[in-house]
Amino acid sequence: MMTKQEILDKLGLSDVNMGLTTGTEWFDTKGKTTTSYSPIDGKEIASVKNGTLEDYEMVINKAREAFKTWRMVPAPVRAEVVRQIGLALREYKEPLGALVTLEMGKIYQEGLGEVQEMIDICDFAVGQARLMNGFNLQSERPMHRLTEQYQPLGVVGIVTSYNFPVAVWAWNSALAIAAGDVVIWKPSSKTPLTAIATMNIIQNVLKDNNVPEGVFNMMVAKSSVMGDNFLGDKRVDLLSLTGSTAVGKRAAQIVGKRLGKTLLELGGNNAVIVTPNADLKLAIPSTVFGTVGTAGQRCTTTRRIIIHEDIYDNFVEKFVNAYKSVEKKIGNPLDSNTLVGPLIDKYSVELFQEAVTKVTEEGGKVLFGGDIAKGQGLENGLYVVPAIAEAQNHFQIVQEETFAPIVYLIKYSGSVENAIAINNDVPQGLSSAIFTKDLLEAETFLSGMGSDCGIANVNAGTSGAEIGGAFGGEKETGGGRESGSDAWKVYMRRQTSTINYSTDLPLAQGIEFNL
Amino acid sequence: MKITKDITIEDLIEEYPFSVKYLSTKGIRCIVCGEPIWGTLEEACIEKNFTEEDIIQAVKELNELNKQNN
Repeated sequence: MMTKQEILDKLGLSDVNMGLTTGTEWFDTKGKTTTSYSPIDGKEIASVKNGTLEDYEMVINKAREAFKTWRMVPAPVRAEVVRQIGLALREYKEPLGALVTLEMGKIYQEGLGEVQEMIDICDFAVGQARLMNGFNLQSERPMHRLTEQYQPLGVVGIVTSYNFPVAVWAWNSALAIAAGDVVIWKPSSKTPLTAIATMNIIQNVLKDNNVPEGVFNMMVAKSSVMGDNFLGDKRVDLLSLTGSTAVGKRAAQIVGKRLGKTLLELGGNNAVIVTPNADLKLAIPSTVFGTVGTAGQRCTTTRRIIIHEDIYDNFVEKFVNAYKSVEKKIGNPLDSNTLVGPLIDKYSVELFQEAVTKVTEEGGKVLFGGDIAKGQGLENGLYVVPAIAEAQNHFQIVQEETFAPIVYLIKYSGSVENAIAINNDVPQGLSSAIFTKDLLEAETFLSGMGSDCGIANVNAGTSGAEIGGAFGGEKETGGGRESGSDAWKVYMRRQTSTINYSTDLPLAQGIEFNL
Repeated sequence: MKITKDITIEDLIEEYPFSVKYLSTKGIRCIVCGEPIWGTLEEACIEKNFTEEDIIQAVKELNELNKQNN
């Protein structure tokens, strides 16, 4: 494993870094300095200079100017830049994956997985660039052609969260850039170094291809500099925000006031249903990965497990045993044996402890974990023993998303419809899963009366989505879709055109209008 | 007085970390999904139906806590 200094050196990071680029040019901004600390040991990694309001104005003007050029570059040519970015990311996969681990705390395998997602979406966007097609439709008028096409949209603002500090930028940027848009990235203040490293990695590609300054922008800034003003800025054509429902609601209101477009990826309260027909050899390991992976800090982390009463005791025994194995593998996420790394900061630990207390106060029972982990290398207090608690779905704490590794076990009886009702009875609607070998149960779960979530899996857990499918959820999750399938459409302006190639002027609906 | 109702939650958390616990006891979650909520202290209070007097009192208590912490 590389040392911290080797990681920083390979990614071109210094002790103090500039936090603003318009592609290849970097700017020495005058904002406050943010220091990034590693949750692994609480030690300083490096610091970053924040942008100011003046810097924001410069960036947005540069982006708008760049859009005028970039939108007229053919989509496959734009995507060639994305392809080369994918190659550059392959070259830097290990150091960038390690930096994700160092700065965010997810285990190294997941750090590598995050960079792989970036590579995958670049590959996807390259192909998609030749398929950003509309429809030719049948006109009711003779010698008329009715057609739909997709045009570049404009400036895409991207606000990302610490838990996927670089992959979410890639999901948005790869498609947006191929679509002819320009992007302005506001990374999480908790993980600014991974953002700077990413921009360092891609800058040679931008130079080699003469990509105009202002197409790829990134600014590290406080919410007082790049917050409500960013959301309310009419010069931002699409605002893609990944974060909490609280911030998402605020964004929706502000962007909505100007009738702007949003792509919101907000909180989840994801459940796995385990029916009497489940194969527990699949359900147990899959669900454990879903609950403790990324130390419970994924939007798609499994928060609830809805288990049929007939298999409840058996499932719980096996599940708790699996957690006993996991407990032995809490530690430094750069260590290849570790399965659970630290939480991002002390506040997350407090919220975890608060959830453990609340579920007990509401009548639940903690079956495992819930404490701060002790041991060599865990002294900074950010490592916790993942918790399992028996609970009821209506508990207030169960209805909320706690961004930490606590999972609630909920018993159901009767048919799968009862389990689905519990699954759906939360404000959020991101991911869901069912474990069953029964076709009728599986299809009911996937039917119109089934899961109301954006993601519904059968015999696969709630987390770990591939980039090929559209990613996002319903209700308080925000309704946005990004990544694969037809998510590219949100980055483009839809246009319907009627072309008259006759010498007459027939009106639609047969309307006569004789002058 | 260092803390005012106009301070952003992000700055409040960074400069006065004890505020997180204090506001939590008042029903305000400053950090959701691991990230600070956007907006000012006043806005966060209004969202939780604080009256003007409540907000003044909260600001006063936060400043008192700050003195104790120093």
